Amino acid sequence: MIEVRNLTKRYGPHVAVDDVSFSVQKGEVVGFLGPNGAGKSTTMNILTGYLSASEGDVHIDGTNILEEPESVKRRIGYLPETPPLYGEMTVREYLRFVCSIRKVPRTEVNDRIEQGLHRVGIVEVYNRLIGNLSKGYRQRVGLAQALMGNPDILILDEPTSGLDPKQIIEIRDLIRELGADHTVILSSHILPEVSEICRRVMIINDGRIVADGDPASLGSDLFDASQIVVTAVADESAARGAVSGIQGISRIEILPATEPGTTEMLIESEHDEDLRRDIFDSFSKAGVPLIGLRVKNATLEEIFLELTSGVKEAVS
Amino acid sequence: MIAIMSREFRTYFQTPTGYIFMGLFLLVSGFFFTLGNLISGSSYFTSFLQSVLFIYLLAIPLLTMRLLSEERRQKTDQLLLTSPITVTDIVLGKFFAAFIVFLLTLLVTVLYAIVVGIFGDLAVWQTVGGYIGFSLLGASFISVGVLISAVSENQVSAAFFTFFALLLIWFLNLVKSVAPVDPVSGTIFAAVVVVGLAAFFFANTRSWIASGAVVLVGAATIVVLHLFSPDVFNGLIAEVLDWFSLLERFDAFTLGLVKLEEVVFYLSFTSIFLFVTVRLIEKRRWA
Repeated sequence: MIEVRNLTKRYGPHVAVDDVSFSVQKGEVVGFLGPNGAGKSTTMNILTGYLSASEGDVHIDGTNILEEPESVKRRIGYLPETPPLYGEMTVREYLRFVCSIRKVPRTEVNDRIEQGLHRVGIVEVYNRLIGNLSKGYRQRVGLAQALMGNPDILILDEPTSGLDPKQIIEIRDLIRELGADHTVILSSHILPEVSEICRRVMIINDGRIVADGDPASLGSDLFDASQIVVTAVADESAARGAVSGIQGISRIEILPATEPGTTEMLIESEHDEDLRRDIFDSFSKAGVPLIGLRVKNATLEEIFLELTSGVKEAVS
Repeated sequence: MIAIMSREFRTYFQTPTGYIFMGLFLLVSGFFFTLGNLISGSSYFTSFLQSVLFIYLLAIPLLTMRLLSEERRQKTDQLLLTSPITVTDIVLGKFFAAFIVFLLTLLVTVLYAIVVGIFGDLAVWQTVGGYIGFSLLGASFISVGVLISAVSENQVSAAFFTFFALLLIWFLNLVKSVAPVDPVSGTIFAAVVVVGLAAFFFANTRSWIASGAVVLVGAATIVVLHLFSPDVFNGLIAEVLDWFSLLERFDAFTLGLVKLEEVVFYLSFTSIFLFVTVRLIEKRRWA
């Protein structure tokens, strides 16, 4: 449905997006994940036709956005990083205006607005000036704006930024709901958000896609059992004693304990071996209670940090 | 285009801008009318029209300053440019919104003409001509303001630069009368224009080739003209300035003469400025 080929965007000597290619199928909910300034917003601005790429192209169902901008733009709803709102208009006037530039047929305008208001939950501020609304409401008015044209593709740039935890949950639920009948691309620099809403995650760093897959498989691809974090109810020497008998340990590092009375340590195996069984056995033999045993690179957070910082090192 | 226009028109009256524009325009024009016609008991309305022209300098920048600069600052241009409408729709919608507010204000001053008509002899055709000229001149000035608003970062600088651009157009007549007429200065002037054009190209495209091409073509044109019709450079500066002198042409209207040539001039001046505005906005996407 969305086909991006060799997309590059340069601002003078600075490369914001560097030879990015990917495709998104109908009905997918895709998350762009990356630190600030990684090129997420630029990519989205190109997808929606706000900016032009320096090289490469974007096709929506085989149609190039630069060749037939009107028909393609009709199919995309876009919520930019800063919601594009006019402070001096009321929510009602604003949504009417959006309908008219989105070329919504006159007879459908009222229904469309009614639906949108309920969907994003802004019925109560319908007649208020946008300039007087809180950040959470503004964000939701922006989201209602993106829905007005009844698009099949929704592009949402940091849809939950600036919201409080309760609003974040509401917006997440809404996006998940919208994902049922829309193709959604959203961006975020918050990991749990992306892994929770999206069935596919693209990690972007320095203008390049460094990983692409579903949150679980991203984990398993990078699953590396050679580093294990152990938490035991014992002091340091007892914990060290418990693992002393295990073959194949190359390094032991004591980590700062998170709970009082426990010792947390990182165990690295010599030949990428999975030592978890051996560790468990030897702790139980030594009579030291083991309350935590996990592979270090298991959370998406760690993978993310690994990928984004690793690339930087490789470049410099 | 209609959607953009009607939103923009409403915004004039949801923000103070529209009221300030109308208030300022009507205050100063009322002042001129009272002094020039009522107190002095004169029915010579054309002098009123000509004195009102100078309000344009202050009022037009107010009318156009926020049109496009504010969209960019508020990032609402992202909404407009990702909607299924063209940049031409946006620019024309903005232009016509400002033009309509301007015409409505102008319409109020027709009351003065009626007052003069009731209590004295109104030179009807001169007045009608004057109003047609007024509208055309207003359209041209607004188009200058729209262009400047599109390249400005905020309203204040847009208003400021529009004011100076209009002031410059205002003083062109004076500059023209002191401009040198010899061929050498004509050639230098042509060269400066070519270099300026190349600089503009470079600033917009960052391409040495395109700007170099402009310099080459310009230089070649100057050389060829020197070889075949050197007369062109006699009084070239005055002629070019004359073309931009919007006010010079206005005089004919207040004599009751509506010449097709002048009407076409004003309309093409407006269209060129609006066209350049559209190109600049479209080009910005590639930057």
